[in-house]
Amino acid sequence: MSELLILAVSGAILTGVSCSLVGSFVVRMNLSSLGFAMSHAAFAGAALGLVLSLDPLGLAIVFSIGVALLLGPLAEKANLPTNVILGVIFSLMISLGLVFLNLIPQTAMSSVALSILWGSILGMTVTSVLRLLVLSVGIVLIYWLFFKEFQAIMFSRKLAEASGINTRPFYYLILFLTGITVAFSLKLVGGLLVFALMVNPASSAYQFSYDMKKITIVSPIIGVLCCISGIAISFLADLPVGSSIALVSSAIFGAAVVLSPKRKRG
Amino acid sequence: MCPLIELKTVSTVYEGAKVPSIKNITLRIQPGEFITIVGPNGAGKTTLLETINGLLPSEGVITVGDMNLKTDGTRIRKRIGYVPQEFICDSLTPFIVEDVVMMGRYGKIGLFKSPTRKDRYIVQEAMLFLSVDVLRRTPVGKLSGGQLQKVMIARALASEPEMLLLDEPFSNLDMKSRSELAEKLTTLNENGLTILMVIHDRSSIPPACRRIITMEQGKIVSDKHFKVMP
Ligand SMILES: Nc1ncnc2c1ncn2[C@@H]1O[C@H](COP(=O)(O)OP(=O)(O)OP(=O)(O)O)[C@@H](O)[C@H]1O
Ligand SMILES: [Mg+2]
Repeated sequence: MSELLILAVSGAILTGVSCSLVGSFVVRMNLSSLGFAMSHAAFAGAALGLVLSLDPLGLAIVFSIGVALLLGPLAEKANLPTNVILGVIFSLMISLGLVFLNLIPQTAMSSVALSILWGSILGMTVTSVLRLLVLSVGIVLIYWLFFKEFQAIMFSRKLAEASGINTRPFYYLILFLTGITVAFSLKLVGGLLVFALMVNPASSAYQFSYDMKKITIVSPIIGVLCCISGIAISFLADLPVGSSIALVSSAIFGAAVVLSPKRKRG
Repeated sequence: MCPLIELKTVSTVYEGAKVPSIKNITLRIQPGEFITIVGPNGAGKTTLLETINGLLPSEGVITVGDMNLKTDGTRIRKRIGYVPQEFICDSLTPFIVEDVVMMGRYGKIGLFKSPTRKDRYIVQEAMLFLSVDVLRRTPVGKLSGGQLQKVMIARALASEPEMLLLDEPFSNLDMKSRSELAEKLTTLNENGLTILMVIHDRSSIPPACRRIITMEQGKIVSDKHFKVMP
């Protein structure tokens, strides 16, 4: 039991870190709806994997990065009605995912199947924790190496480009990392709500500071907090862990908006 | 003299648009020139500026020195400072003035390098030059339109460009700031900076400007050189 708990907690910490780090870029660049569609695509991919007895994680990555490659170029150009397209993709993915889940025979598999929807604290294995560790370290390293460029792009992609930064590789690098992150986070948080963990901690951090360095440090801290308390709540109250994390992170966001010094007059 | 920038039959069509917004533009800009572009709304002035620094894809040939925009866009943009027509940022924007001006140099500083003391000095000088150094710790989302405009000009200067593209730099400025900016641009031009500036009302064309290009419906309809401003 205690080993399971250690795995769950370390998985939670790493999921919190990676989700909220990519989240700080996704939120600032108005890519939230794209991230939303990607996380549901990951869910559909994982469900298909379970139906076909293929690697769910691999298919989750293929699906979410597929959506990113399909819609990234559209989202790049502001003059297309991207939100409508994203809405369609989002509902398509969630229905595909549910159809796939229905095709899975009602055996012991079904709890695994449902866990990719709701998340589960029991699904963490040594391998999945290690994978998350590599991902988190990778994201931190990439942010650290290219912090300057990411900052300039987050201020204005057009002006960053105008000042001689080749912005496209960075844009797609982030979409790629987002795709991997949502796929890796499915096990713990579940496909329905992994998105909350990406957007809420980062959005909360943005309420408090005008310093991108601080925001980049604070948002994973909030993310970890959400995950740990989400796990505790789910453990104690026997709630799906995805919902607990989403509830905690929404509460934190609500509090952040109310308390935000940025929103005070004067 | 060898031109700094040369456009040969350049046309730009926005995505989804049926007609080009600028058509068959041919233009030579010599180093050290101070050029003003005038013309009615929708004439293609902004389009021309963003075509010159390659933000908009175009047809035709654009060269800067011996570099071709199609193949060397990123390197060319490091040599050109750009101040957009209107820049809006929301009040939560997580950057202060100092950061934003420094960002103007990021392309030049290059990948994997951090700003050095020299970079910070140049940024400081650029802020002083535009009199926005007192605002250095202010979040950019809290600036007035005119203050933000000055910060964007400081940002463009911070990259120590060979050429400056200014899109209606006077639009948000009060009378005093306008004449101050006109003087500052004149100083920069006297020190060798090539300036291409879009302006709405001809009355605020600085005396140092020696060439006025008029655009209408995507074309250059007149291109006049002056010894002394009329
Ligand atoms: N993003 C866009 N997509 C499609 N068409 C555009 C776009 N931006 C501008 N246009 C069109 O291109 C033409 C030239 O626009 P441009 O912005 O270059 O004019 P301008 O001379 O800068 O005008 P203003 O004085 O109002 O700034 C206009 O007819 C406009 O409708
Ligand atoms: Mg314009």
